[in-house]
Amino acid sequence: MVGIRSSHAHAAAVGTLLAFSIFTAASAQEIEHKSKEAVKGAPSPTVTQDELTKAAQDTKQFLHTNGNYEQTRYYLGKQINTANVAKLRPAWIFQMDVRESLETTPIIVGDVMYVTTSFDHVYALNAKTGEQYWHYKHKMGPITTYCCGPNNRGVAVYDDKVYLATLDAKLIALDAKTGSLVWETELADPESGYSETMAPTAVNGKIIIGTNGGEYGIRGFVRAYDAKTGKLVWNFDTVPENSVGVWATKDATGKDLHRDIEAEKAQFAKTGDPYKTLGGGVWQNPAVDLKLNRIFFVVGNPSPDLDGSQRPGDNLYTDSLVSLDLDTGKYVCHLQYIPHDVWDFDAVSPPILVDVKDKDGKVIPGVIHGGKTGFVYVHDRKDCSLIRFSEPMVAQENMWSLPTADGVRMLPGANGGVEWSPMAVNPKHSLAYAINLHQPMTYQVQSNPYPDGKLWLGGAFKVIPSEESFGNVTAVNYDTGKIKWQVKTPEPMMGGALATAGDLVFTGEANGWFRAYNAESGKVLWSFQCGAGVNAPPSAYSLDGKEYIVVGAGGNTQIDFKRGNNIIAFTLD
Amino acid sequence: MLLPYLRAQKEIPGVFGMRHIAISLGLIAAVTAFTAKSSFADGIDDKVQLCSGCHGENGIPQEKSTPIIWGQNEGYLYIELRDFKSGARKNDQMSAIVADLSKQDMKALAAHFAGLKWPNTAQPSPSKDITKQALTVIGSIGCTSCHLDQYQGDGSTPRLAGQQSGYLQKTMADFRDRSRGNNPGMSDLLNAAQPADLDPIAQYLASLTVIGGGQ
Repeated sequence: MVGIRSSHAHAAAVGTLLAFSIFTAASAQEIEHKSKEAVKGAPSPTVTQDELTKAAQDTKQFLHTNGNYEQTRYYLGKQINTANVAKLRPAWIFQMDVRESLETTPIIVGDVMYVTTSFDHVYALNAKTGEQYWHYKHKMGPITTYCCGPNNRGVAVYDDKVYLATLDAKLIALDAKTGSLVWETELADPESGYSETMAPTAVNGKIIIGTNGGEYGIRGFVRAYDAKTGKLVWNFDTVPENSVGVWATKDATGKDLHRDIEAEKAQFAKTGDPYKTLGGGVWQNPAVDLKLNRIFFVVGNPSPDLDGSQRPGDNLYTDSLVSLDLDTGKYVCHLQYIPHDVWDFDAVSPPILVDVKDKDGKVIPGVIHGGKTGFVYVHDRKDCSLIRFSEPMVAQENMWSLPTADGVRMLPGANGGVEWSPMAVNPKHSLAYAINLHQPMTYQVQSNPYPDGKLWLGGAFKVIPSEESFGNVTAVNYDTGKIKWQVKTPEPMMGGALATAGDLVFTGEANGWFRAYNAESGKVLWSFQCGAGVNAPPSAYSLDGKEYIVVGAGGNTQIDFKRGNNIIAFTLD
Repeated sequence: MLLPYLRAQKEIPGVFGMRHIAISLGLIAAVTAFTAKSSFADGIDDKVQLCSGCHGENGIPQEKSTPIIWGQNEGYLYIELRDFKSGARKNDQMSAIVADLSKQDMKALAAHFAGLKWPNTAQPSPSKDITKQALTVIGSIGCTSCHLDQYQGDGSTPRLAGQQSGYLQKTMADFRDRSRGNNPGMSDLLNAAQPADLDPIAQYLASLTVIGGGQ
């Protein structure tokens, strides 16, 4: 309760404090230090590009939001494994000031852990003891326009800095040792619907960031900024000036989208290309292939979400996997999952780079993505083309019925399938682990003109109160598309997964349970009640020869799961 | 199961947070009292007085259909003033008042009223049945996705908790028939509710306080 109100008071206080600073020589203190050792700052070793590159092999640190540039969330440590996970116990619990939706991935550098909260606070903690080194509170501007909660998914680390993107659409760099602000860059105007909830990605001296705002009629982007100065290096508009595409009548899996192409073409002749307000937010980190020197990311929904009448065409590159050149930001390839989406079925869960079997059984570099549709999509990394899609992980009913004025029922609902939650993989078993929602919704359409940066859904999607909602954890073989195992959960799932070489999969539930599953069978081997929704992706690290699993338990705004403010690190005795 | 493992690396959050807020609010009150007299552009003091004519000298509006603006979120107050000025939100009285305001004036007014303490109107809690009806609709539409779990809002999203029930009901009705036209997304969402749901939602939201919020 406190954290929420605290944030509110903080937001109000910021404006006032800005005014206050006019009259005082010293500006407001924004960094807290708690322990005696904190006076000296955090013992933050610098992070080299080599360390970032080799993060997949690093069992001591967790340097990327999704573990490594490939985003496998596969941790090579085996100390915690199927034989002993039952003895896993909390090493420490840290309670943060903000008690609100918690989607952060803990990042571990040496023995320092960085976590973030809703409303853009950053904590540096002692990863061994949970003690606080410093606490940075972002001075939020008065105008924020964001969807789905005041979330922040974490920081990027590089050299001697920690990078954060904020709800008021800024990219900032902090001194890793002290938490003080080094530079701040405005990415876009929050009054026009731009916001940031994703974690940045650090690579080759650049900080890569996308934007949110697909519910507000933005024009999305992915950009690279100079890590040292905060200056723009390149920009890629996720919606090109020619967003029409090929007037596709089917989705990537061959299902009819029931588009009225003639009506769309007539609209196009009348109003032209809708690219300026077409949305295309990016919610999660890109995967980076340093050999190909390319990034792979997925793009969110078109604006307005449910009303396609104002946005004729395929609405490129919304609902797509996109690959760019890392140095220049130039387009390389894309694959659109759902052309002209009118269900908010955007691509959100971060793509994963992993070797996959192609149609002939030959092992090639692949990309996989868990969709709101409930499919795991498997691509050829070379040209983004689709090799296969999995069996559906959730029931698919009435797809693709067009939204009506009175509302049409469809399953999955607008949250998926797989929402923003990152999947994990275990390459040894060729398995991807996805967490899903089963949440039927009604889709209503209503046409409204662009409302100047306000919420622009073009209708409403509504949970059906009389129908049951639940979730599942699913293991999918990405070489065959077959489901290996599936465990039903009582609540819809949102958060993320971590797989380990100890043959475990960790993921949390809205009801507070954090569980370890046997990676091959899905058997639950360990559970811990965290007291609030575990709706954040777990991380793993080791210190002094001891492995830890760490996760945030703070609930979720988007589907209103029980809030909390805990970061919990687990270890064996 | 949780508490035995809790380490004392910080104060008990509840106590700490409350104190923090009390200090913050005290500071806000002190600073805004100062800035109110010092930093407004010419004529803003008069505007503040003018606002108080309807929105209340003590933060409690004269009419049930007039919103509480003391302690309302700063970004929201600014956006509404902006929209009254542009005509996106229509209200004869407000349009006349904002006609001569500059962007800077509107931001200053928003900051001023956001810094004041939300008043306690002590609106009664509705019955269990009405509360249940309200919560069912709220859960179905997903109001807390933007207005947050205590309906305290944030930034450009308004606080609803403790707002005047008459104003809430009128606003929802105005969104539904689109006579309030500056947020079509809200119109769409409210049209996913039924007319009979509006009064329960208004009663429920009006009765709420925000924990740690002073009221």
